[in-house]
Amino acid sequence: MLYDINLRITYTYEVPVSGGRHVVRVLPVSLQDRQRLVAGTVTCTPTPEERRDSGDFFGNPSTSILFRKQHEKLVIRMQARVQLEPQPLTADFSPDLAAFPAEIGDVWSLDADSPHHFLGASPRLPEDTAIASYAQAIAKPGMTIRQIATAICDQIHKDFTYDPKATTVDTTPREAFKLKRGVCQDFTHVMITALRSLGIPAGYVSGFLRTIPPPGKERLEGADAMHAWVRFWCGSTTGWMELDPTNNIAAGLDHIVVGHGRDYSDVAPVIGVLKSYGSHKTEQAVDVIPLQ
Amino acid sequence: MSKKQTAEAVRAQKRDENDPAFGYRALPGIADEMLDTHGNVRPVWQHLLSTIGHMDETELANRFARADRYLRDAGVFYRAYGTKENSERSWPLSHVPVLIDDVEWQAVSKGLVQRAELLERIVADIYGSNRLVAEGFLPPSLVAGNPEFLRPMVGVLPADGHFLHFCSFEIGRGPDGNWWVLSDRTEAPSGAGFALENRVATTRAFSDLYAETHVHRLAGFFGAFRDTLQSRKKHPDDRIAVLTPGVANETYFEHAYIARYLGFMLLEGEDLTVIDGRVMVRTVAGLKPVGVLWRRLDAAFADPLELNQRSQIGTPGMVEALRSGSVSIVNSLGSGIVETRAFLAFLPKICRRLLGEDQILPSIATWWCGQQPERDQVAGNIEKMVIGPAYSTRPFFDDNDRSVLGSTLRDNAKVSVSDWLQTDGPKLVGQEVVTLSTTPAWVNGKLTPRPMSLRVYVARTRDGWQVMPGGFARIGSRADAAAIAMQAGGSAADVWIVSQKPVEQMTLLPAEESFIRIMPGSLPSRAADNLFWLGRYIERAEGALRILRAWHGRFAETANTQMPLLKDITDYLAGLDIDTRQAVPESLVTNINSALFSASNIRDRFSADGWLALNDLAKTARKFQSTVQAGDDATHAMTILLRKLAGFAGLVHENMYRFTGWRFLSIGRYLERGLHMTRLLGHMSGEDAPDGAYDMLLEIGDSVMTHRRRYNVNTAALTVTDLLALDPLNPRSILYQLNEIKTEVEQLPNAFSNGQMSPFYREAMRLHAGLAVMTPEAMNALVYNRLEQELGRFSDILAQTYLG
Repeated sequence: MLYDINLRITYTYEVPVSGGRHVVRVLPVSLQDRQRLVAGTVTCTPTPEERRDSGDFFGNPSTSILFRKQHEKLVIRMQARVQLEPQPLTADFSPDLAAFPAEIGDVWSLDADSPHHFLGASPRLPEDTAIASYAQAIAKPGMTIRQIATAICDQIHKDFTYDPKATTVDTTPREAFKLKRGVCQDFTHVMITALRSLGIPAGYVSGFLRTIPPPGKERLEGADAMHAWVRFWCGSTTGWMELDPTNNIAAGLDHIVVGHGRDYSDVAPVIGVLKSYGSHKTEQAVDVIPLQ
Repeated sequence: MSKKQTAEAVRAQKRDENDPAFGYRALPGIADEMLDTHGNVRPVWQHLLSTIGHMDETELANRFARADRYLRDAGVFYRAYGTKENSERSWPLSHVPVLIDDVEWQAVSKGLVQRAELLERIVADIYGSNRLVAEGFLPPSLVAGNPEFLRPMVGVLPADGHFLHFCSFEIGRGPDGNWWVLSDRTEAPSGAGFALENRVATTRAFSDLYAETHVHRLAGFFGAFRDTLQSRKKHPDDRIAVLTPGVANETYFEHAYIARYLGFMLLEGEDLTVIDGRVMVRTVAGLKPVGVLWRRLDAAFADPLELNQRSQIGTPGMVEALRSGSVSIVNSLGSGIVETRAFLAFLPKICRRLLGEDQILPSIATWWCGQQPERDQVAGNIEKMVIGPAYSTRPFFDDNDRSVLGSTLRDNAKVSVSDWLQTDGPKLVGQEVVTLSTTPAWVNGKLTPRPMSLRVYVARTRDGWQVMPGGFARIGSRADAAAIAMQAGGSAADVWIVSQKPVEQMTLLPAEESFIRIMPGSLPSRAADNLFWLGRYIERAEGALRILRAWHGRFAETANTQMPLLKDITDYLAGLDIDTRQAVPESLVTNINSALFSASNIRDRFSADGWLALNDLAKTARKFQSTVQAGDDATHAMTILLRKLAGFAGLVHENMYRFTGWRFLSIGRYLERGLHMTRLLGHMSGEDAPDGAYDMLLEIGDSVMTHRRRYNVNTAALTVTDLLALDPLNPRSILYQLNEIKTEVEQLPNAFSNGQMSPFYREAMRLHAGLAVMTPEAMNALVYNRLEQELGRFSDILAQTYLG
């Protein structure tokens, strides 16, 4: 599957700002046997005084930019062409919970994909007893890791209502879990917290989702948004798998990956630090255009 | 041993023939620093003990008081966690030093140097090739789940190739007499400055003993480290700075002290900015490069962009600067990971792997409970164990609320301990409880054995690792080791490493002046901002005090607040948010507290005397708030406060080095004084001024006598205006302030460029000239009002030019 993706993020500042420093993570990543970035660029208006493109610890492309001159508006644009490979559905080789710690313990590595990074608390995801007992109730003895993850994904999808007004980018999983409402980020955070509480390594995937227009309707430009879903480690035979709790599906040819992290804070599209006396407005427009 | 010492020892023997230890007894089964296992006084202690033993109580009390007075006068304090706002505690000195023979110390030092090198290699491996994990020497989960593991630092090689430069270790002596390492400090080791202060204070008490004993000096160690940091600069123009989290930190005093002692700048994250991969400090003379940072800030807070995104005290782009290799940071960000308690369990094997030798100085026995054999070992020996968090970086006796002593658990609880270990194993470590040695402390009029641990320091110098000959001993307040933590009432003692031979003498203390001479013009903008506002707040308080004193003086005579003059002033003060219904108005106290806060941010630039005077002023004002009555009582109180304020101003005036910082403080004062008089004259000089307004103005302007001498007439609008607004020789007049401001501004950095006046200097000139040409007749409310606005704008331009 081949896609052209356009993203535009616009910040409008009430009071002109200067000295802003940002790290931008919006460019899709190349992942062996999963997807390939054919071509891609990130551009900013105004042009930053300093710019450096590199990769972070988890292998995500990141761009750090600095603006010294005053500006009232910042536009970050990303254009990319990405080739996605179909993911063959394999048989379930994942162990059960009892055998799992030993299997994790056998991974003597701290590479970006090592399951050890994705256990325990992370900056946005403290341990949470309410979510832990929710997960505990779903995970029945004898279930495999994959079955558990699928069941949790299914249960969250059932119990939670998609509601963009209920939460913000700073909502904690505890709050979202209490509300049983939220957006992809909340669904993903709750599911990661649930999996980790059982000792299953789980991480955050930031990316784009192709939306299929209703039958008979044209695809609307800019109607898409950035998306988030879960990846979890199910043993050394299978490695990592991806599930999308917002849509209760396995991530496949519609899910274009931008980056991997422990939670949102590792892969936020724009992290910024600037001194400002006023508020700002953010707009995001995404087009995911299938070419084949 | 000198003849004199021998003679005293003999006298001591004679007086207390049967007791050379003067009644001091070690506790059974516990090693003691002063007494050996046979109860004999160790040779290095003999002179000290016999000297103290022969002193009477009064003399000892006097000596101890000298030490305490030094600490108080020097303003040594530490901040206690979790208590009420005013939680600066005076430093709890245990006056009797701990003496260690330098032959024994050399053996300990060898072990410490090996350990520092080992930790360096481990940090380098974790942030580099990661072989320790790959080869099974270090469980990956202990790294990946560790809050001190900073992923953005993986693959970043330090500018000078070294991760660790300054480490400290908590060591203790076990019952068998051998030393053990209780914990490692690599993140931002604190206490070295307190060790220096302990030394100075203790020598105040025992100057004679100190001179007679061959005690190794500490200055050489600090000097070598300072020189090494100097040599790490890549450009001669580079600054070296101590990076502090700020005044709210528990050891801020020490950061300021170390910076002053070594002649480095004291900076906060906000002082720094990163430009093209270089760390720059914002100074009043523009951005200046920083080459070396001695970090006392927790690493995760150093960069809100790439590390802890919630940090308010970091510098965005710091990690980027480290990647580019333009700045050395001591110690590297992320090096705190080797403080982790669980690591102690793996050090022996790692030492053999990385250094090819056994550890000279062992850690206390530690088992990480992530594996079954270790869990069994801990559960099986629970009586002798303390169980605590695997990622903790504190020794167990500093970690009381999170560590559990196995022996304190009841039998049925021990069963659940096994369950606990089973479920939470990877998060737990068991450590064998060590009974620490005791050292004599002066308690209730006699020497008493108290448990102690030593905090010792190792620094990387150009000649390799160097161990501080000393450190500080932490002394328990009770007989059990858990009472050592200072937060639990423990105290600190100086450590004397004693040689048989005379030792080299040196001191670094007069280094302060040379600092200012070396680096003129590098006053950080934030420091200038605080000095400027300190000047303004102090002067604002003085202005308010003078008006209030005049008000209460008249109120005392009439007791009628409706009298036109009083009513008028009441309204005027209300406009400044000062409520005359309170004898000591809240906003006045707030003002003084603001001055105190500004001063606390720049304590490294203050004499301890000035700081104490300001504290005294604030304390008195707070006290008066609840005790003083309107009228005479208040007049008297204001006079006292004015005198205290003048005392502070005088100390600053007499003692502060006349450099850039001083100029900002002065400009702040002149500006505020000018504003005060402009506002007041604008309000009271109109034709409808109430009866007695001119006399009151002269009183507030402290110019009654001058007026009488100069004009020889009754007070009138014109003469008062002439004296308080336009007289260039009256230190209270507006014109005087503007002239002084002009003079100070001329001396500021960048007042001229290419022979041209800077816009700011031009503004100062314009302000002064504008008023200098005025006549008393031309001065009216409109003119004052315009001048007030111009002064406000002048303050804004100053902030934009120098403080941004």
